[in-house]
Amino acid sequence: MNFRDPDSMNLVIGNVLRYGVLLSAAIVLFGTLLLAASNGFGDSSDFLTYINNQVPHSSFYVSFSSLFNGLASLNAFAWIELGVIVLIATPVSRVLISVFLFAAERDRLYMAVTAVVLLLLLFSMLVTPFIPLFQG
Amino acid sequence: MLIVEFIILIFLFSIAAGVFGSIVGLGGGVVVIPVLTILFGVNIHFAIGASIVAIIGTSSGAASTYVKDRVTNLRVGMFLELASTTGAITGAAMAAYTDSSALKIIFGSILLVTVVLQLMKLGEDIPKSPELKGLSKQLGLKGSYIETDGREIQYNATRPVSGLAGTAVAGVLSGLLGIGGGGFKVLSMDMAMKLPMKVSTTTSNFMIGVTAAASAGIYFVRGDVDPLIVAPVALGILIGAAIGARVLMRSKNPTIRKAFALVLAVSAVEMILSAVGVIS
Repeated sequence: MNFRDPDSMNLVIGNVLRYGVLLSAAIVLFGTLLLAASNGFGDSSDFLTYINNQVPHSSFYVSFSSLFNGLASLNAFAWIELGVIVLIATPVSRVLISVFLFAAERDRLYMAVTAVVLLLLLFSMLVTPFIPLFQG
Repeated sequence: MLIVEFIILIFLFSIAAGVFGSIVGLGGGVVVIPVLTILFGVNIHFAIGASIVAIIGTSSGAASTYVKDRVTNLRVGMFLELASTTGAITGAAMAAYTDSSALKIIFGSILLVTVVLQLMKLGEDIPKSPELKGLSKQLGLKGSYIETDGREIQYNATRPVSGLAGTAVAGVLSGLLGIGGGGFKVLSMDMAMKLPMKVSTTTSNFMIGVTAAASAGIYFVRGDVDPLIVAPVALGILIGAAIGARVLMRSKNPTIRKAFALVLAVSAVEMILSAVGVIS
């Protein structure tokens, strides 16, 4: 593929977004069907009272090991969480791949711009949640 | 109401949110938050968590179409993302020390003023393109796309530093309040950089996913992302964004500006009402 052709960059980035979204939607749908099959005919107001009272801790899995266990045991919430993680990872992958696409175009200015955006993004997503300054 | 009914209703509202959000470049949060809190009695924390997921979904879901059709300006988007991510981190750090009500009133009022400015240029189709010079030229902030009538529209961006500053404000607002970012991004590109309306809304749509992803970690760790609420929102938003992208590609710039002005007005009123405690 010729990355110097601006169309091919649009195509690659467009496809990263498209397949990320489709994968995420498929996983969330699977989780939602599991949820409907297991709990779907319970009363939502009981459930809403239950989750609203859980602030600030929702029923999402926090650790990776509990997430894997949940996926293995076909837990609806674990599958939905995986789908949401794929959805959040989609724009991040788009920025990551852009760094390489600009590198292939030998466009150093934009390679630097996207690399800085990627670093800021990863810092914000993965580091700031654990710094007390950001927990207000 | 049964849980399946609850899920299906949120799903349907989210489709509508995805359609509007992807056309005007604001994401679906402006629809999702009030629908969840007012109609369904969802706690505001979970509503904001769902709105973050909705914004990422609207952005990625519609951007695949916009990017392939070359209406999104990738270079403008990536250049401005420098400011939006920096702003988002700064805003998140300020959150504990800031009176969010006062800020919502200030920025809500600024947005209302910009609605008037938008209404004054309702008829504008394609802005007169400025000469490409200075920093815009060095950064290659120009582009072209095919309009609905088959014309190839060539345009150049101007005042990149003002655009960067406006986008930084947008980033601070998203980091600080969880809302209000998309509107200022579109305004920065439309009013400061003089890009065609379609390019502004789709490039904002492209960027808001990254800004939202930047703050997703914080909401995840706080436990504000609830699966029961997020699942139908994510699915509905993705379908809505796919529909919205097709609608935008067939719409003319003045139509998109009308939709943008409307959603901007709703967003401004929401900000002010939530600041004075009328809505949560």
